Order: sequence, then C-alpha cells, then structure tokens
Amino acid sequence: MEILLSRVFAGATSGSIYVLIALCLVIVFRSSSTINFAQGEFALFTTYVTWWMTERGIHVWLAIVPAILVGFLMGAAAERWLIRPVKKRDETAVLIVALALFTGLNGLDGWIWGSDDKVFPRMLPSGEGSYITIAGARLHYDSIAIIAIMFAVVGGLTLFFNRTSMGLQMRAVAANPESAALCGVRVGRVLTLSWGLSAALSAFAGALLIPLVPPGQLGLAGMFHVLIFATAAALLGGLDSVKGAVVGGLGLGIGLALVNGYVGFLGGSMSLTVALVVIVVILLVRPTGLFGARRLERV
Amino acid sequence: MSSPKVIVRDSAIHRALIGGGVVIGIALALWGSGLAPFEQGQITRVMIYSIAIAGLNVATGYAGLLSVGHSAFFGIGAYTTGILVVKHGWGAWATIPAAFGICLVVGLLVGLPALRIRGLYLAMVTLAFAVAFPEIVGRFENLTGGAGGMTIHRTSLRPPEWTGFSLGEKGAWLFWLSVIVLALTIYVTASLTRSRYGLAMSAVRENEIAASSSGVNIAIVKTATFGLSGAITGAAGALFAMYMGSLYAEGSFTLLAGITLLIGLVIGGERTILGPIIGGLVVVYVPYYTSDIGGGQASAVLFAAVLLLVIFVAPAGVAGAINKFVARFMVVRSAPPVSTPALTESPVSDQAPTQNERQMS
Amino acid sequence: MSTPLFTAENLVAGYGGATVLHDVSVTVDEHEVVVVLGANGAGKSTLLSVLAGQLPALQGSFTVDGKTVGQIRPDIMLQHGISLVPQGRGTLAPLSVLDNMRVGAISRSDRREVEADIDRWFSVFPRLAERRDQIAGTLSGGEQQMLAIARALMSRPRLLLCDEISLGLAPVIIQGLFETLREINAESGTALLLVEQNAQLALDIASRVYLLEVGHVTASGTAEQFRADDSIRAAYLGY
Repeated sequence: MEILLSRVFAGATSGSIYVLIALCLVIVFRSSSTINFAQGEFALFTTYVTWWMTERGIHVWLAIVPAILVGFLMGAAAERWLIRPVKKRDETAVLIVALALFTGLNGLDGWIWGSDDKVFPRMLPSGEGSYITIAGARLHYDSIAIIAIMFAVVGGLTLFFNRTSMGLQMRAVAANPESAALCGVRVGRVLTLSWGLSAALSAFAGALLIPLVPPGQLGLAGMFHVLIFATAAALLGGLDSVKGAVVGGLGLGIGLALVNGYVGFLGGSMSLTVALVVIVVILLVRPTGLFGARRLERV
Repeated sequence: MSSPKVIVRDSAIHRALIGGGVVIGIALALWGSGLAPFEQGQITRVMIYSIAIAGLNVATGYAGLLSVGHSAFFGIGAYTTGILVVKHGWGAWATIPAAFGICLVVGLLVGLPALRIRGLYLAMVTLAFAVAFPEIVGRFENLTGGAGGMTIHRTSLRPPEWTGFSLGEKGAWLFWLSVIVLALTIYVTASLTRSRYGLAMSAVRENEIAASSSGVNIAIVKTATFGLSGAITGAAGALFAMYMGSLYAEGSFTLLAGITLLIGLVIGGERTILGPIIGGLVVVYVPYYTSDIGGGQASAVLFAAVLLLVIFVAPAGVAGAINKFVARFMVVRSAPPVSTPALTESPVSDQAPTQNERQMS
Repeated sequence: MSTPLFTAENLVAGYGGATVLHDVSVTVDEHEVVVVLGANGAGKSTLLSVLAGQLPALQGSFTVDGKTVGQIRPDIMLQHGISLVPQGRGTLAPLSVLDNMRVGAISRSDRREVEADIDRWFSVFPRLAERRDQIAGTLSGGEQQMLAIARALMSRPRLLLCDEISLGLAPVIIQGLFETLREINAESGTALLLVEQNAQLALDIASRVYLLEVGHVTASGTAEQFRADDSIRAAYLGY
C-alpha cells in the first residue's frame, strides 16, 4: 500500500510540473489556435536568466521576478513580430518559426552561459527529514509545495479568465476573433498578451521544476522531456481547456509513475515512449482530448 | 523585358542541359575524389546529410507531411548498419539496402497515423518520436549498446576486394559510395516528382479534400511517401554509421538533429533538387566554421537566424530563389499535346450515319 | 436639412482581386430605419463589413455627424456609435449568454451602466434572461440571433447594422425580431440599417430603402415607393 501511495505522490509531483507547462500551451492554443513548440525553450532561457542572477547573490525567489518579466516580453515580442506575420500565410510556416525559436534560444543559452550543467538553487524546501508520512509513504515538503503551487496557479488563471475584463477578452478572441473585434476587442493586443502571459508562466514554472526533474541541474537539454510530457498532458486534457490540463497532467504523471513501477519489462525508462503512444492514441481516437471543445483543423 | 525562353521538356535542348548537369556532377565527383582525406571526408559528410535531407524533402517538401523526427530514421539506418556489421559480420556497403528496407517498413508504419493526423498535430507526433528514439535505443541495450553507444571496428569497414581500395582508403571508398547513393537519390526523387505519383503528392499537400475527391488515394500516397522518405534518410544513416565508425544516440539522433535536418531543408529549398544539397552544405559547414564561437553553440543561433530570414524573405529557400532567378531567362515546359487529326476535321460528316454505325456507337 | 447621422460615399471594396462594391453611397439620418435590398451576391454583407470597419474600403469616405472619419477600424467605428450584428450571428459559442453580453460592452468603462443595460436587454429579450448562464453555443438559432442583437446593442450604438438577421429562422421568430427592432428604434432612437434578401417584413418598419444590384445602388427611395413598384415587388417581395 505504501509503495502504491509513494508512487502516486511521485506521480502527482511530476504531474503538477506537467500541468504548469501544459497550461502555458493551453493559453497560447486558446488564443492563437496553434501550439508553441518553443515553449520549453522560453522557460529554459528565463531559467538561465534566473540562475545568472542567483550567481550574483540575489536570492532565487527574488531573481525570478525579472525573469518572469523577461519571459513576458519574449513571448509578446515573438507573437507580435515573428508569429503573427506568418500566421496569415500558413500554419507550416508558424511551426517552422517555432522551431527556429527552439533552436535559436537553445543555442543562445549555450552561447551566453555555456553548455555545462549548472547547479540551480532549490526553490522549495528540501533536505533530510523534510517530509510527512501518510500511511507509511513519504510525502515530501517540496512535493506538497509544487502541488499546492500548481493549484494556486490554476485558481489564479481561472479567476483571471472568468473575472477580469482582459480574461473575458481572451476568451472572446479564442471563441471567435472576428466577433470579438466587432465588439471592440483589440484582437492583436490580446494575442500578444496571451503569448506574454504564457511565457511569463513558463518562466515561473521553469525555475521551479529544474531542480525537481532529472538530472536536477540546469542544462541545455533540460526542457526536452518536459515539453513532450506537457504536450501529451495538454492533448489528453484538451488543448483549449484549463481543467483538462490539470486532469491530463496529473493523470499522465501518476499514470507514468504507476506504469514505471508496476510494469516490469518497461524497465522504468520508457516514459517518453509511453508519452509518444499516448499522443498518437489521443490524436487517433479523440483529438479534442477529454475536455477540449475545438480542433486545430476542421476536416 | 523579354519573356523567358521556353524549353520543351525532353526536347534536344532540354536533354543537352540535363546532360550538361550530369557532366558537371561527374566533374565535381572526380574533383572530390582527388581531395586530401580530411576535406574529402567533409564532402562525404555533406553528401550524407544531403541524402538525409533529400529523404525528408519527399515527405515534408513534396507531400507536405511535416516531420522533425527524421533523426530517428537516420538513427535506425545507422544502427541497422552497426548491428549487421558488428553482430552479424555483414559487409558494410551491403547494409545500405537493408537500412533502406527497414526504414521503409518503419516509415510505412509511421505513415499510418498520418492518415488521420494532420499538420501541426502530425509534427507533434514526429517530435515525440524524435525525443523517444534515444530512449528506445537505450532500452534495447543488448542490441544497440544502449546509452553507451556502439563502435564499429575499422577493419569491419574494409572496402571489398573488388573495389581495389585498401583498408587505408576506406575514406575514398565511402566517398564514391556516397556519390552513387546521392546520384540514385536525385534520380529517384526527380523521376518521382515528375510522375503521376508526384502530382498526387502535390495534390495531397495543397488540398487534401480536393485531392481525395479527384480520386487520389490519400492513404496510399501518405503512407508510401513516408515510407520512401524514411527509407532514403535511413540509407543516409547507414552511410553515416560507416563514416563515424561509432554510434551514440544521445549525440547524433536527437530532436535537435531532427530539427537541424528540417532547417537544412527549408534553408536549402523545399521541393527542389538542389535544395537538399545546399542544406547538406549548410548543416555541415556552418557548425564547422563557427565551432570556435560561443563554445560551439553559435551555429544553432545562426541556423535560427538564417531560417527566420528565409521564412520571411525567401520562403522557397536558396534553391527556390535560384530557380526563380533562372526562370526569368529560361523555363521548362511540357510539350503541348499533339492534336489528333480526326478532331480537327469537320464534326459533322457529309452523310447521315448508316444503320451499322449507329448501332456500334 | 439636418446633418445625417452617417454617410458613406463612393465606396469601392472587394476581396482579393475581385471588386464587389462599385461606387456605393448610402446615408442614414438620426433615428431612421433604412433597408438595403439585394439578391445573393449583390454585395450587401460586404457593404456592412465596410461600414462596420471590418473590411477596409479601397476607395470612398465616411462621415459621422457631418465630420469625416479618418482611420477605419471596428473599435473606432464603435466609438462613433456604429455597431454590427454580423451575418451568421457571430456567437461566442463557449461563453455564457451573460459573458457574450459583457463582451459587447467591452469598450465601455461605466460598469454600473453596463449592468443596467444588461438588465434592460434581458427584459426586452426574456428568453435570454432565462438562459443567462447557459453556454451560448447551445442556444437555438432564434435565441442566438437575439443574443447577437443584444450584444451589439450593449455598446449603446447610435446606428445598428443588421446583416440578414432573418436567415434560417422561422417566420414567427422573424416577425418577433423585427417587431422588437421597431420598438428599439421607437424607444431608444437607435437608427437601423438592415440588409435583407427577402424584405417583406423589413419594408414594414423601414422609412427608406436602397436597392443593391451586383455592387451598384440601382434605386433608392421611400418604403412606399418601393412597395408600389411592381418589378421590385416581383423580384424581392415575392408577389
């Protein structure tokens, strides 16, 4: 029983990380109907910025603030200057722009800060004895923290979308940009803000998750796996659904933890392959995911 | 400005031009064969990547099936060669068709989801495929040497007796092998795209629904295209294994590698013959010449910058821009249809049809 | 003669390479109800798109209260008091009815007045009030049309443009809608510019009519004149 529970706890922890990045993907998809493949690299770049500041003696929770700002600006600028001009042309061009951002940002990270792994300060409580025991299984403080943070972010986003004017505008643009424009919504501005918000959130999530995800240090390949898991989670839940991202992320995290633990021959190191299978199956069987309403393409 | 001169396809002038191209190709190959080993090795590498990108061109360029996962095909081809040579004692060059065949099958399998999954979604699947590939390699450690990699001993790469190359000349042997495979690839892709199958690929790329209602069998086009595309890139992978002598999945067959192939294709020029070759040059020489800058990371930034430039300024890539420029002076068109003499006669016959004629029609 | 509320002069507009509107001019006075008649493809929707600032005109000018309007954009036209009920209703389907209404008022800053307006339009359209928290995409066609009208009215326009609101609706519903529009025009003084294919009901509430044929205004006059004209009756009124 305690093994099951500890696997669930581990899965919920990694799942919460997937939720955070999946939310970034959802925010962009809702407004632009496209998937930002460079999302992970936005997060990585800003995490390097955070690291760089901690190297200068700034406490990590303080350093994260300008990094979030940088993230916001990056996302907004990318939408305004790189994505929007090519979106009119065709969606393949958008994808290629995203790939250019992917490669370019990753290379920039290595160029500016070097390709060696960096030690990144932990933002959440950790260390000997920093856990509580439930039914024999250990639930670490940092797990509790990240799950709590995830729910707080979800709550905050939900409040933002449902209670604020800008949130309403984003929902309107996601539903029908032409109609929204006729009502006076400045669609371009909303799109730019959506991308900015998404990148800002990924900046926050990136700094949180680097110490928690193998290899536990800051390196150039740090976000590749998380991106795949987050994508699978977002697809599973429905690309335009916040609730879906939560269910998809937690479901995927816990599911993978259980599969790795109990299904022997997979050897615990086939998570990415499982994620790939999940992605393919969802796209074949139920492309809108569990809670999604819109498809990327209409047949 | 005068309008471009029209050259009829398959006319004497056209054939002369193609012949000229072939002569240039042969001349280049001969020049390359005379290079010192290091430079020759670089050219071989360019050819290998050109073949890999040409494979990608078939699926992504011509059929519009975007893939960032061709690094996996590259890897499968390479590991096929590695395993056959190291574990089963095959002659290295004989593994090329084997790599082709295995990647053909894998490509067909990967092409199956492409029937129901399109565009950005399909790209996502290939992305996941690319990231999962090193993991799969690591899983089958007994076969592939796992995460530690696989080494092919140089004596296993000895050129066969009948070629006249000694072990020390295996670089030259590989060079000529690559020339042959590249020439074959160019021939196959050129014929393919000019054929009815090529038209079907274009139709699927432009407008799937219209293609389907025109009678194009979407399923066959998509899966076969992916199969052939993967197979060509797999053949390149086999050559790559022979070139490197050692395989390390985390280094050569990752998502970044897959993205690099796509970048090479877009910069070089999709849907052109020259494009993959330019792509190969870019993919090999840009990192080479920028390896001192930024700890080797500058090439990625440069790729990104050039890619963005291409997308915004010259979406057809370098080869596309060249084609456009040449098209100002010279265009190749198919010959106009030959009119049937019967059609040009008066449609109304002088006499009323006889009883027999009426019954026959 | 008082200044017209809104004029559009010598409009030329189209899509891609095709010109749809050729030198079209319309005028709407305060509190007027103007109808634009025309067959399919005449350019009616294009005209409204241009008037709402959605589609840029290739040539032509606009005036509001006699003053020329410079930049043309939907939010700017809204500031001038011109609001469009688009063809097909443009429902923000995943949002609730209430949220749809709120979006209509997005350019306004007077919160309390916005809430008052919402209550007001809910009383004009009780069906919407009943469904205030329902997802708009699940509403019937007639209800979505009501919602589209209410949403457009939320910006307190002086001129409401309506693009074929009768499309796909049962005659009883259409009658109700036009009656409501007539009341709104009478009580709030909102001018109306209605575009319709089959215009029997529209003519009943109209004061002036334009006839648009293949992108040209071929006739204009009062509603009585149009009703009296035999050829127009035959072509557009069905009798």
